[in-house]
Amino acid sequence: MRLRYAARGAVWVAIYLLFILAPLFALLAGSLPAARDFWTEFAAAIGYAGLAMMGLQFGLTARFRYVTEPWGEDVVYHFHRQISLVAVGLVMAHMLILSATRPALIAPLNFIQAPWSAWFAVLSITAIIVLVVMALWRVTLNIGYETWHLTHILLAVIAITAGILHMVGSGFYLADPGKRALWIGLTIFWICLLLYVRIVKPLFMLRRPYRVTEVRLERGDSSTLVMQPDGHPGFRFSPGQFGWLTVFGTPFRITGHPFSFSSSAAAADGRVEMTIRKLGDFTSTISTIPVGQRVYLDGPYGAFTIDRNPADMHVLVAGGVGITPMMSILRTLADRGDRRPVTLLYGNKDWDSITFREELDALTARLRLTVVHVLSDQPSGWTGERGFITAEVLKRHVPPPFADHEYFICGPGVMMDAVETALGKLGVPLSKYHSERYSFA
Amino acid sequence: MRRLFADRLVSATAVIVILMAVIFALLRVAG
Repeated sequence: MRLRYAARGAVWVAIYLLFILAPLFALLAGSLPAARDFWTEFAAAIGYAGLAMMGLQFGLTARFRYVTEPWGEDVVYHFHRQISLVAVGLVMAHMLILSATRPALIAPLNFIQAPWSAWFAVLSITAIIVLVVMALWRVTLNIGYETWHLTHILLAVIAITAGILHMVGSGFYLADPGKRALWIGLTIFWICLLLYVRIVKPLFMLRRPYRVTEVRLERGDSSTLVMQPDGHPGFRFSPGQFGWLTVFGTPFRITGHPFSFSSSAAAADGRVEMTIRKLGDFTSTISTIPVGQRVYLDGPYGAFTIDRNPADMHVLVAGGVGITPMMSILRTLADRGDRRPVTLLYGNKDWDSITFREELDALTARLRLTVVHVLSDQPSGWTGERGFITAEVLKRHVPPPFADHEYFICGPGVMMDAVETALGKLGVPLSKYHSERYSFA
Repeated sequence: MRRLFADRLVSATAVIVILMAVIFALLRVAG
């Protein structure tokens, strides 16, 4: 199964590169204007490639399940963030190299008399700079998530549209009608990817609503939303996967919220549950959602699942609300009658805030499950693990050879980094541990 | 693990694109 996903991943990487490089080399086809010096041609090439990469960002965030499946949505978003810096670097280098090789372009007098294509270049670069600053320092700048998300999309559209207008206006390669049509067509394709995720996908979701049938208060300031498909069979998911939840308003709202499913994937009636901890504005409203409320779910997504990573023994490492995908895994294993050993290392602040504490205890009777609670703030008389989940804790509770098991890690970033480092020190290969990080912004 | 793979993919993509841009420029200059 891993090989099949790896092969599919390789095909998508090749297609991604093809979408960047094929339109660039298509510029060399047919009749060509007289060549300029090396640096000018190089600058032109990275300008075209940078624009193509920026346009393809709409594809990376379009949530095409078939495309993102080999890696998981969180990793595709991580790639989206990192590759955007490369694309921006290429566009900035394009401008700087041309400014150096053709100083007349930036001379103040000429700049005022510059053609409209140069102004579109300025508009595109300005939009890119603002977009990057807002993306990198959103929290520092105290910009709300929804405001940022909407601005992010608008700036990206402005940057790309102005970029293509700059290219068309500059002429040279795009003076050829065929090449101009190719690049304008590409730009329309990129914008269509955006329209797909913002209009077409919500239209499908609108026809497949869910109803909240129960809101259950849980330990640890958390609530479980129980949702039933309304007029459709729902979808099937693998334990550990997640979905995007829209509660108030329609699926056309710019921002959905990603949460893991906490229910068993073996439920036959399409019912899904999400357990959400009060951590911010939206999550604080969960416990007040009335039964009967219509909600929309976009999913399932993610590669963080035991179904894709079979093993003789699973080791689950959870911190706080990171227990939710683990609960789905454990409930599903119990419903399937799976008798493989599972060890859950579960870090929490204190004994009373352990979400699903009683149910985990009950699950030990249905599974070959060992639960190890690690508390940073222990009650008196506590004889269990103290502090945080470290390499020593892992060594005490996971039987060797460590590299034979599959590890699933979900929790605060600091905990995940520490556990990944500890597993590395224990000689667990990278392919054997899987982390779920919800940082889509 | 998957994020590390993504990081490497980003670096590889950057290198490939820059190399291809160099080849593009060389092809043009060489006529």
